[in-house]
Amino acid sequence: MKTLLIAGSLLLSFTAEAAIAIVVHPSNQTSLTQEDLARLYTGKLSAFSDGSSAVPVNLENTVPLRSEFDQKALGRSSSQVKAFWSKLVFTGKGTPPKEVASDNEVLALVANNPNIIGYVSANAVSDNVKVLLTLE
Amino acid sequence: MKRIILSNLPGMMLLLPLTVSADVNISGFATVAGGRVMSGDGVEAFGLPPTFLANYPQVGVYEEEWSFKPDSRIGLQVSADLSEGLSVTGQIVARGADDFDARFEWAYVSYQLNDTWTLQAGKKRLPLYYYSDFFDVGYAYLWLRPPADNYTWQIFNYTGINALFNTQLGSWDVSGNLYTGREDDKENKLLSQFFGTNPVREIWKDIVGGVVSFNRDWLDIRLTYMTYVNERYQTVNGITERVEWDGEFERRGKFAGISVNIDYNNLVLLSELNQLDLDGSKFDTYMVSLGYRLNNVTPYISYADFDSDGEVHNTTSIGFRYDFHSSAAFKLQYDDVEDNGYDGLMVAGDSKSITFGVDLVF
Repeated sequence: MKTLLIAGSLLLSFTAEAAIAIVVHPSNQTSLTQEDLARLYTGKLSAFSDGSSAVPVNLENTVPLRSEFDQKALGRSSSQVKAFWSKLVFTGKGTPPKEVASDNEVLALVANNPNIIGYVSANAVSDNVKVLLTLE
Repeated sequence: MKRIILSNLPGMMLLLPLTVSADVNISGFATVAGGRVMSGDGVEAFGLPPTFLANYPQVGVYEEEWSFKPDSRIGLQVSADLSEGLSVTGQIVARGADDFDARFEWAYVSYQLNDTWTLQAGKKRLPLYYYSDFFDVGYAYLWLRPPADNYTWQIFNYTGINALFNTQLGSWDVSGNLYTGREDDKENKLLSQFFGTNPVREIWKDIVGGVVSFNRDWLDIRLTYMTYVNERYQTVNGITERVEWDGEFERRGKFAGISVNIDYNNLVLLSELNQLDLDGSKFDTYMVSLGYRLNNVTPYISYADFDSDGEVHNTTSIGFRYDFHSSAAFKLQYDDVEDNGYDGLMVAGDSKSITFGVDLVF
């Protein structure tokens, strides 16, 4: 009984702690801090460190990785992030990142456009993209 | 906030062969809330029954019967991105306080000059207080409504020009705007229907103002300033006359305020301190709110105060916000209003009220 419980909780903590890879086009030679990542996804920054335009892409709310990203990258729950954006959207001060439905869509967008930045589960990373940062 | 992209629909292109293709984005917000006064004094001198004035500018009034009108509203925003930094946005709001008569409350053109500056022109919300320009978007804030005692001014829109900026100073994110314009409200609701019975035309002209916000991690500081010239006309028995103040047809208002907000771990502290100087008369407002986030539920307490020569009132509120859905929050709030007005400047008397509702964004 005891071992079962321990095994169960290990499994739980493992799935909840899946790493998130921040991905860009392979030609991207810039570096990214976690602070700038948060700025990019809250509309406070719109360029990579070399000055080229950066367009963030988000996952839809229905994808479980989205709430993990909001928590790990922005330190906020998805509800808080939504409240933050509704303030900006309805006052003409900002537009939230476009949302797509899956890791694969993020990978396809990033692989084809040097300005796009996105995130996927670390184990979904393909050869067509470059990992700029990993959130454990 | 789901994006609905109507561009490049072949049918539309056939019907409108000369239109420029644009991304049209439709989003919206809604609040459905009900409440009632549990007990209250009203104001005998005005023949006013027990009343809770929950929204001053819209005259959102609760009485002793349950009502779902004073705070309920729905807003629809349509924004067309014409590319290369140009966009046009309209926001239509229908309010229970106006029998859901829908009106354009925002209509503006926006042009992004560069990464720092964006120019806007048209009709917008006057960004006096912290919550002024998103007052209608209940989902974006903690309470059922921003503290009524602070958000009392009869003019809340303007038509003019607005320059927005967004930059970084060391580890601080700095944003804000500079604006100028005017508002001519042909029949001001608050002055014509609540604080009086005769139609009042309220003009705020030569409006010049600015807002600057400093944001870092869990700290958010906002400074606001605005100056305007007030002109007023009153129609009594069919005759319109210009209102005089101490022998003058115009008076200058100067509004200044500071807001400090802290969101640290699960603790939320919200505060505002503002003053309007109207030709030397001072109108002081402040509020402090404290909330604590317990997963999806955030209980809060709040105190708001209004103090001037004659009009004096405050509200103590307790309540909670429950984020029960990814796009909706349930709120329950109890408000205890104390009206200490004198010299005939009472507002609605003391009252104790309860309100509950759901805020949504889409």
